[in-house]
Amino acid sequence: MLAEVLARVVAVVGVALPLAIAIFVGLERLKRTHTEWRARLRTSAPVIVILSIVLVCNRIMRRAGPSISRDIGIHVNFYEIEGEFVLLFQRIASSEMNTYFTVAYVYGYTFLLIFPVIAYFALSNTRPFRRLLTAYSLNYAIGVVLYVLIVAYGPRNYMPELVSETMLYDNSPQFQYLTQEVNDRRNVFPSLHTSLSMTVACFAYATRDEYPSWLPVAVGLALSIVVSTMYLGIHWGIDVAAGIALALVSVAASDRLVDRWSLRDLRDAVASVRTTVDRQLDR
Amino acid sequence: MAERRTGGSEAGYSRRAMLAAAGGLTVATSGCVRQVRSIVNRDDIEQLSLTITTRPADGDRESIQLAREIAAVFDAVGADVSIEMRSNEEVNRAILFNYDFDVYVGQHPGGTDPDFLYEALHSLYADESGWQNPFGFTNLHVDELLEEQRRVDPADRDEAVADALEAIALEQPFVPICVPEEHRLVRTDRFDGWGDRHPATGPGYLGLDPSDGVDGIRAAHTDARPSENANPIMAEYRDLEAFVDLLYDPLAIEIDGELTAWAAESWDWNDGTLAVTLRDDLRFHDDDALDASDVAFTYRFLADTTLGEGVSPSPSPRYRGRTSAVDADAIEFDDDEGRVELPVDANRPVAERALTVPILPEHVWKPRSAAADLPGVRVAQGTTEAVVTDNWPPIGSGPFRFSSRSEREHVTLERFDDHFTRRSGVELPEPTVETVRFQIDPRSTSAIELVNTNEADITSDALETYVLDGVEETDDTRLLESPSWTFYHLGFNARKAPFSNPRFRRVVARLLDKAWLVEEVFHGHARPIATPVPEEWTPGSLEWNGEDPETPFLGTDGTGALDVEAARSAFEEAGFRYAADGTLRVRQ
Repeated sequence: MLAEVLARVVAVVGVALPLAIAIFVGLERLKRTHTEWRARLRTSAPVIVILSIVLVCNRIMRRAGPSISRDIGIHVNFYEIEGEFVLLFQRIASSEMNTYFTVAYVYGYTFLLIFPVIAYFALSNTRPFRRLLTAYSLNYAIGVVLYVLIVAYGPRNYMPELVSETMLYDNSPQFQYLTQEVNDRRNVFPSLHTSLSMTVACFAYATRDEYPSWLPVAVGLALSIVVSTMYLGIHWGIDVAAGIALALVSVAASDRLVDRWSLRDLRDAVASVRTTVDRQLDR
Repeated sequence: MAERRTGGSEAGYSRRAMLAAAGGLTVATSGCVRQVRSIVNRDDIEQLSLTITTRPADGDRESIQLAREIAAVFDAVGADVSIEMRSNEEVNRAILFNYDFDVYVGQHPGGTDPDFLYEALHSLYADESGWQNPFGFTNLHVDELLEEQRRVDPADRDEAVADALEAIALEQPFVPICVPEEHRLVRTDRFDGWGDRHPATGPGYLGLDPSDGVDGIRAAHTDARPSENANPIMAEYRDLEAFVDLLYDPLAIEIDGELTAWAAESWDWNDGTLAVTLRDDLRFHDDDALDASDVAFTYRFLADTTLGEGVSPSPSPRYRGRTSAVDADAIEFDDDEGRVELPVDANRPVAERALTVPILPEHVWKPRSAAADLPGVRVAQGTTEAVVTDNWPPIGSGPFRFSSRSEREHVTLERFDDHFTRRSGVELPEPTVETVRFQIDPRSTSAIELVNTNEADITSDALETYVLDGVEETDDTRLLESPSWTFYHLGFNARKAPFSNPRFRRVVARLLDKAWLVEEVFHGHARPIATPVPEEWTPGSLEWNGEDPETPFLGTDGTGALDVEAARSAFEEAGFRYAADGTLRVRQ
């Protein structure tokens, strides 16, 4: 079942990516990327390593997290804070909307996350690329800490019968195999779907000079994903608000962090520590 | 919740301290100290504030819906109520082990024999872990009646049970709500014989008639816990499931309500002793012999998992009620003859319930009687290895043995070829397939889909009632209905005020429109109850007659409309007070 769903996601994204590359990136940038990719990879290597480490840790923590948060996590029931806000979206419920938001939540999200990585790698200036990966790392790193600290369940778990018409797993149960691979059902605060989509939207705005036509697509898709998390009964408004805040923090922090330290600085720092130590030892 | 309450009383103390200090200056010398002290040293009564603990919809969709309806009526009568959702094993741990709850909503495993109430409510067990009296309910009169139904002549037991049930209904240690229907979807093109025996029990998976070329049962199981833990005595991980029955043999097993000799060849009942004769040449899955000494060990171990080495006995959190009448220290056995004599202080029907517990291999479990320890961590007294081990691989003697598993994905069992049911001359349901695979599938809807697409043969957990009206049977699938003895209930923590007060509990019971809840939450696929035992044990006085005969709803029956004024008066008549702002005031 999981393999089937995965294959479908891979197929859809596999079609969407080349299309998007053709439309937004263009042949010119690809050609230059072909000649410069080694240099770009070398400059970006530290960030790629960091993101990989964060993703691996994230995966481990999401498996181990629930048992840790059982002991140290704070149990919260967001319904008691925000009430029936998310039921607002039930008013626009229809089978077409169900399909639209399901597609946005599953396929749109996967595409939205992967495409900018390629698009920014295709730029000679590696800074947007490195910033994007840094922002992704921050989203995942901060997100997983919050998951451990805050134990909460989403609307579908609290008022299943009120969101059942639009609820993702009631309508398309096959997707639970996919989502349970990447997530525990207690991980609702913050919404990482929201934070990562909004992160991509922010970057689309920041790079609008390079990719002007990507901006409206990214923003439109991001907003659809944000709404889908509530429409499908997965997240509370509070999770979404926290997701937006997390996106803003990650984007801003990535600006400060990237280019703050270069590899050469690091090498110099190590060298100076070594000389100091050597000198001390000589004495 | 707890925090809020502590915060309140701290604020109270500091206010009091300030008053005392300020007042002290002026009046200390005037002789009014006594009066000041008696003014400030009085605890205020506060708004009733409570948390309802329950499972989220992924764990039990009906429970969270019930909890919300119950929260709504508490709110209507002026309480400050909140709902806390916890996962399946966390709910069990909070309720059965740590008593960390005010009230909870959930399913009780119940029982086919009303003697399960002895375990559930006897005050002897108020301090034990597990399903033995998690409510902390204590009432000497109820104790006496629960003991009486165990002692009376079986012919008079009906009446004794009725007396106990009536006393319990009067006290409402928990509010029984309803018995849900149990439905499972099965494929009929691969197996014949589904439903011949109850599919919530081991025998439900034995004796099936597979079609040509079919050599495995594929069960879609919605609860992931059997893939995480295989400890038969661990109450957090065990609910109603065939899993333990398939791996472990009891001496006798219940098939269609009849107690049938299983690992026992036979038994005799004479004068308070069950003399059991074992079948010949029984083996555990690791090829060790199952001897009379293992049986004797099992009963000693269930009574005290420290085997007498602990500061005090530490009984098993499961099977306690069924074995409580057995005098574990006086068991005699003879390995050569394969005989065990169990002295039992109860009448025959109750005594024989002791035969239904799983037989544990002594060589595996004896070392687990040691205290569990974690370096640097304080472990609760009486926590033995036995009650915390995950028990992989489980070694039993049952018709299937453990083969492989992957957490939250599957547990697969394979046929134990040496099992006695496969011998010629043994007329018992036997394993007819090579494997049983419990595929974990977290939702009823997708479990149904697995059966419909021929990827599973049965949805092994009872389906949630909300999907039932949408299930379509085909030529190859059938919806199987089985009798149910589990029930939904609202449990009180009687260790805390005001839940310790039977008058309070009775008024709460009257806030629930059970008939309406059955329609709303269970879509009619349940029956409302006033007492938690199977219908054949329900006395006329506690039969549902359109309304609850003992604690009728304070409102219009069947509509869910609570008469709030009447409910408030009922609380006032029970000795509670209301503030001017309409909040219910209690001492907690």
